[in-house]
Amino acid sequence: MKLRLKRVLTLRTVIATSAGLTLASSTFVAAVQVANFVLGDTAWIAILVGGALCFLAAACFSELNGLLPSAAGIRLYFNRAFNEQVSLTVSILYMLVVIVGVIGAESYIISTILNEAFPALPPYAWIVIMLVLVTGMNIRGIKIAGIFQDLITYGLMASIVIISLVALFKVNFQLSAPYTPGGATGIINAVALGVFLFVGFEWVTPLAEEVTQIKLISKGMMISIGILSVIYAVFTVAMTALVPKEVLAASPAPQILFARAAMGSTGAAWMIAVSLAATITTFNAGLISVSRFMYASAREHVLPAIFSKLSMKYFTPWVSILTLFAIGLTVSAIILTTHRYLTLVKLAAAMESIVYTMAGLAVISLRRRMPGRPRPYLLKGGNIVPAITTLVFVVLAAAVMIEDPWTMVVLAIALLACLVYVNTAVPYMKKKHQARKPQSRRRPVRAAEGVEGRK
Amino acid sequence: MDSLKAFTDNYNKNDRVKIMNRDWDRVIMIKATDVESLHTLTLKKGQLSLKEGHSEDPDLTVISDSETLADIFYGDITPTEPYNDGTLRIMGAEDDIIRLDFISLLIWGE
Repeated sequence: MKLRLKRVLTLRTVIATSAGLTLASSTFVAAVQVANFVLGDTAWIAILVGGALCFLAAACFSELNGLLPSAAGIRLYFNRAFNEQVSLTVSILYMLVVIVGVIGAESYIISTILNEAFPALPPYAWIVIMLVLVTGMNIRGIKIAGIFQDLITYGLMASIVIISLVALFKVNFQLSAPYTPGGATGIINAVALGVFLFVGFEWVTPLAEEVTQIKLISKGMMISIGILSVIYAVFTVAMTALVPKEVLAASPAPQILFARAAMGSTGAAWMIAVSLAATITTFNAGLISVSRFMYASAREHVLPAIFSKLSMKYFTPWVSILTLFAIGLTVSAIILTTHRYLTLVKLAAAMESIVYTMAGLAVISLRRRMPGRPRPYLLKGGNIVPAITTLVFVVLAAAVMIEDPWTMVVLAIALLACLVYVNTAVPYMKKKHQARKPQSRRRPVRAAEGVEGRK
Repeated sequence: MDSLKAFTDNYNKNDRVKIMNRDWDRVIMIKATDVESLHTLTLKKGQLSLKEGHSEDPDLTVISDSETLADIFYGDITPTEPYNDGTLRIMGAEDDIIRLDFISLLIWGE
């Protein structure tokens, strides 16, 4: 029997969701960092290479998603490929880095932009307003999804392309040394950071249970990476062609400088609106994903039970959402004081590279562990693609951490904390739950042994 | 079937859950992978009914082996654990999956 669902997502929405999760205000800052690692207007090379590498990771995710289609995503892939401890440690670390990285960097950038546009309010006040807005939306269960998500994402992409083309027209499409990127170290670092531009494309895999054809997810991911590669390449080259790199790099909001140079105050206002939309959609998606992860983790007793509390009215995990709100306020205050937002961008890039490395390894491992299971999307060429993915992303993660030792230190501390948590607190919570469980099961015992038969 | 019947009976005895779900009309299909077993739970205006057989266009489809399904619908295990290890598969919107889990929590407790 073919399974059908009443509500199914279309390819257009899958692409919009995948691309929408990656488009954020911090993307523009990362794009300038990429440009700074290479000579002239050659950032496009690093971005296209970064996009091509993300294609490899997307191919691995496609095979994993086809094999184990579940909203649990990497939690399930890594559980089956490695073990429960690895899966839990990486999942908690990933969620932690993503929420800290995304909220910290995004809030810093957007508050700076809004403070410049409306100086009457201090930057932290903007952060509080944004977080209150998104937290309220999350608690009410308002999702930016479906047609609304499509409109925002495609609108953002069209805006970026239009402003970029106007800028390129202003410089008569003349680029400075567009084919000579410089030394290998610079290129490797540029590509490593270029991967950050695509961070989150794979977060569309949890939609596997909302489509009837699993291949739509793979197709959507690939198309979204392809479109984003071109848009980012054009945008970054247009930025560096119009505004000197040093000026862009010195600003936490280079996109506004660029838009103003391209289209005056209209361009700046347009870009503020684009940045605001990008940040709100990213915050909203991040908060939804991480709060649901916390809820599910609390239900399986790997996080304290309080995180499984749901609102009786809106059926949303309000304790998890409010906890994330508090974390967001704290992280934002720290970043606003220290101005170390770039460390967060690099932290997220390194973590993402580690997860892509593990996705490659998971494909190889699951081919051995579950050889007979149907794979709607099977990577051709044996283990070549997953092996290359693993190798490439190990090098990129190392490049980011060597270039910025702070990233390595923070990531190492976070990993250690997660390992200690998974090996001490989790067994304790599970034991406590077992002890509290009613001694007799509700299910009657099988007839022969005294219990219920099969369903 | 007994577990689904127990689940349905306990749901319909719980007025609080019925009020909370009065606007949540859903068709949930439950399919066992190891035995011939296909059932449909229909939630309409807060009332839950059970019938044998499949449903065209369900909102949610719950798929697992019969032992796991029985444990889940008797409330002996939370659906999260078999879901995260891949034993349980639920097709449908994420919010609907959370709602179903929440109903189970309210009926059976932790």
